[in-house]
Amino acid sequence: MLERQNNLKALFYLAPAMVLLSVFTFYPLFNAFFLAFLRDYEFLLRSAKGFTLFGNFKNVITDPDFGIAMKNTSIITFISVPISVIIALLISVALNSVKKLQGAFQTIFFLPYVTNAIAIGMAFAFIFHADYGLLNTILGWFGINPINWVGLNASWSNAMFALLVYTIWGGLAFKIMVFLSGLQSIDKQYYDAARVDATPRRRVLTKITIPLLSPMIFYITVTSFIGAFKAYRTIIGMFGETLRPPGTLSKDSLITIVGLVYDALAHADATGKMSEAAAASIILFSITMIFTLVQMQISKRRVHF
Amino acid sequence: MDITLKEITKIFQAKDKSETVAVNDFNITIPSGKLIGLLGPSGCGKSTTLYMIAGLLTPNHGRIYFGDEDVTDMAPEDRGIGLVFQNYALYPHMTVRQNIMFPLENIKVPKEEALKRAQDMADLVGIGELMNRKPKQLSGGQQQRVAIARALVKKPRVLLLDEPLSNLDARLRLATREEIKRIQRETGITTIFVTHDQEEAMSISDEIILMDLGIKQQVGEPQDVYDEPKNLFVAKFLGTPPINLMPGEIKNKQVLIRGSKVTGKAAKNQEVVVGIRPEGFEIDPNGIMELEVYMVETIGRDTTLIIKNFNDSAKSYRIIVDARHRIKPGDKVKFNIESDKIFVFNRETGERL
Amino acid sequence: MQNTIRETRIRTILFKVLVYTFLVGFAIFVLIPFYWMVLTSLKSFQQVRTEVPPSLIIGLKDIRFLENYASAWNAAPYYQYMLRTVAVAAISTTGTIFTTIFAAFAFARLNFKGRDFLFLALISTMMIPGEMFVITNYITVSNLGWYSPLGQTQTEAFLALTMPFMTSVFYLFFLRQAFKQIPDELYLAAKVDGTSDWKYLWKIMVPIASPTIITIVILNAMGTWSAYIWPKLVATEYPLVTNGLREAYQDFFGMVNYSQQMAAALIVTLPLLIVFMFLKKYIMRGVSRSGIKG
Repeated sequence: MLERQNNLKALFYLAPAMVLLSVFTFYPLFNAFFLAFLRDYEFLLRSAKGFTLFGNFKNVITDPDFGIAMKNTSIITFISVPISVIIALLISVALNSVKKLQGAFQTIFFLPYVTNAIAIGMAFAFIFHADYGLLNTILGWFGINPINWVGLNASWSNAMFALLVYTIWGGLAFKIMVFLSGLQSIDKQYYDAARVDATPRRRVLTKITIPLLSPMIFYITVTSFIGAFKAYRTIIGMFGETLRPPGTLSKDSLITIVGLVYDALAHADATGKMSEAAAASIILFSITMIFTLVQMQISKRRVHF
Repeated sequence: MDITLKEITKIFQAKDKSETVAVNDFNITIPSGKLIGLLGPSGCGKSTTLYMIAGLLTPNHGRIYFGDEDVTDMAPEDRGIGLVFQNYALYPHMTVRQNIMFPLENIKVPKEEALKRAQDMADLVGIGELMNRKPKQLSGGQQQRVAIARALVKKPRVLLLDEPLSNLDARLRLATREEIKRIQRETGITTIFVTHDQEEAMSISDEIILMDLGIKQQVGEPQDVYDEPKNLFVAKFLGTPPINLMPGEIKNKQVLIRGSKVTGKAAKNQEVVVGIRPEGFEIDPNGIMELEVYMVETIGRDTTLIIKNFNDSAKSYRIIVDARHRIKPGDKVKFNIESDKIFVFNRETGERL
Repeated sequence: MQNTIRETRIRTILFKVLVYTFLVGFAIFVLIPFYWMVLTSLKSFQQVRTEVPPSLIIGLKDIRFLENYASAWNAAPYYQYMLRTVAVAAISTTGTIFTTIFAAFAFARLNFKGRDFLFLALISTMMIPGEMFVITNYITVSNLGWYSPLGQTQTEAFLALTMPFMTSVFYLFFLRQAFKQIPDELYLAAKVDGTSDWKYLWKIMVPIASPTIITIVILNAMGTWSAYIWPKLVATEYPLVTNGLREAYQDFFGMVNYSQQMAAALIVTLPLLIVFMFLKKYIMRGVSRSGIKG
């Protein structure tokens, strides 16, 4: 009675979601590969001159923007993620160890998650404003002259620094929340046992808390790598559609891989651009896939500490 | 209405295609209006049998009859059964009243009547004042009663209970077990309940069905089954403390344990297992069996003597004697054995001789 | 003995002070952008433009609340943007809820051919970056006639904005987990009582899983509020709030009115914060659960 299969009924319940997913998820997935191998695809005419194996990929990779995008994306990913993971871990451990005001702190730390990336990006841009910004004001108290972070002709490294601060700020909330719920699910007995054995706080942290939390730390780190690799909206928030401080050259752009995809898509009417967008998206997919595979491999091998 | 199971077999297939026979060629007729305990160790197929009677599982082979009606292919809702789950399965977001009324809504009983029937049923099981509470606000025993009320409210032909007492603490268990018996008496409904606790089954059942490894072992009134176990499994499973099993032999129609005669048996010479109930020993200075007492457990009403097992020092035998005998560890005591408390089993098959 | 007790006590207090200082420090770091937004949005145009360095507080008499917010509100048709965003969020959230409830029920409760394979295929798509879908969806939406650079009707814009978001693999996965946690016995009990699958889904499963469903509604609606890329691609003439925000103040040269810009940013951020304050419990639980799924 219950183990019996009921394909017809299942079809009825699945149909709405499956139809939508077929059109807007499964088909686009295959079509992205199809587009990426079309030669000289004209979007307006919906026609192409046969196929090319690497033509579109070559166009993407040889574009000077690609190198810049790879550099920016890697820097954003490999600097902001480790920093925000460590800070989030420390905050959540601290938060878990206090009773008073825990709820209030939790709410505050969660705020960045529910805000609008564009709006907050604008606020950050203004914090980093050379003349009217908060940061230079504070630096001024220590006798440091105003620095041109994101203004006219700001240097790439200054702009990148500002972007990294914003990225770390934006990434904390989710990680703190997840770590905190992980910490709260650790059996209190371990801590009682450690206390009976007079274990110093530092040892409790390094020998009990972090090892028990390590699968989650690892998981969050890798998924954050993937998330950071897709950075785009934060940059629009801070720098607008040009993706760079005003007045600077394109070599100082803060464009990312996702930026490349949308850049190509914005020029979709030009010959082959749609295919380049598809090719760039496949490159993005391949890189995130590597992260995913590494994660699967490692978490398979050592499921727990 | 009688319930008849004919040649019921249930085979579960795992993902790797390996098969487990949960119930094997099961035949039984459950008499109308009785409270029946379906008893056995975990994994013996008793819950599977119950679920097949409920219609939640379909047997691979065999037929199930309610009276003369073949219900094997009938959906559970058409069988007219009430089922109480081990963890009660109360809908957590509904009040007690809504829970009890839920089955009636399904069969479109008018609101007024449904309310009245729900209240009557709640009164019957003694939770009439708790109708507006949510399950979470009830104790385990109260939840249990709500579950029974929900099962009974649609006036089922059969009431099925799956391990009804296992989620209750010891004290509540005693009270609830009487309660189930009372409700069954008052409603007169044929009731089958599944349990692994032999004491529970024996204390309230009109009849017990003993199962092991998917096979029916013995059926009968509790005392009859206890007094005349058909095989070693039944003898071992019923009774606390459990029956004492000693290696023995039959020689010239005499049953010998370590060379001394304990009873007579008309059977051919062979090695056997002799089972003696703990209460079957009688202290007698001229007794036939002398044993050294290893430890003494006193509970007031009677005294349990613990004797080292002949073969395995990690195990022990238990003998219950009257509390007026003051026996100390190390004493050597002579016993006689009551002949109706001693059972002889084939050593290979476990069948009673 | 007495001494060690006192020593431990002092240490404990010192440690507490350290922990709270750390927490307060980062709480300030998190709050700074909000504070700066609020502060700037209250200053007058002149004050922002002439004060170098800017003051970190503002006197009551210097507050230009009405001026700034009114001009920010009028700089772009926010009223329209917001209404449109709410409508889009309502449509796509309703669609998502129904499609995911149905599908999650099938995956959690029904037994059908290829169920495990199909589910695996679905959740693998979660690993794929959304940009890969956007390209083809842009083409699909154009092919369906819902978008053309030459112009589109309001209805077409709504179709383009909502149809691709009428279901979600992530929420489907999330809801299936919630459905799976409902004990099987409840289903069996309902079956014994003659409850149909349809009734069981709506009367038992949905009410029990309602916290999860509420979480999905909130997260989905908040997602629409912050949507930027897709509306910019397919609804150029019918922007949602976030697009409107960026585009109204895109100019970095010349005399940007920062007070007005920050007021606008706050106008867009505030609804999110209000929703968060009222429905904190659901949002935070949803987020911390989604992290443990792996």
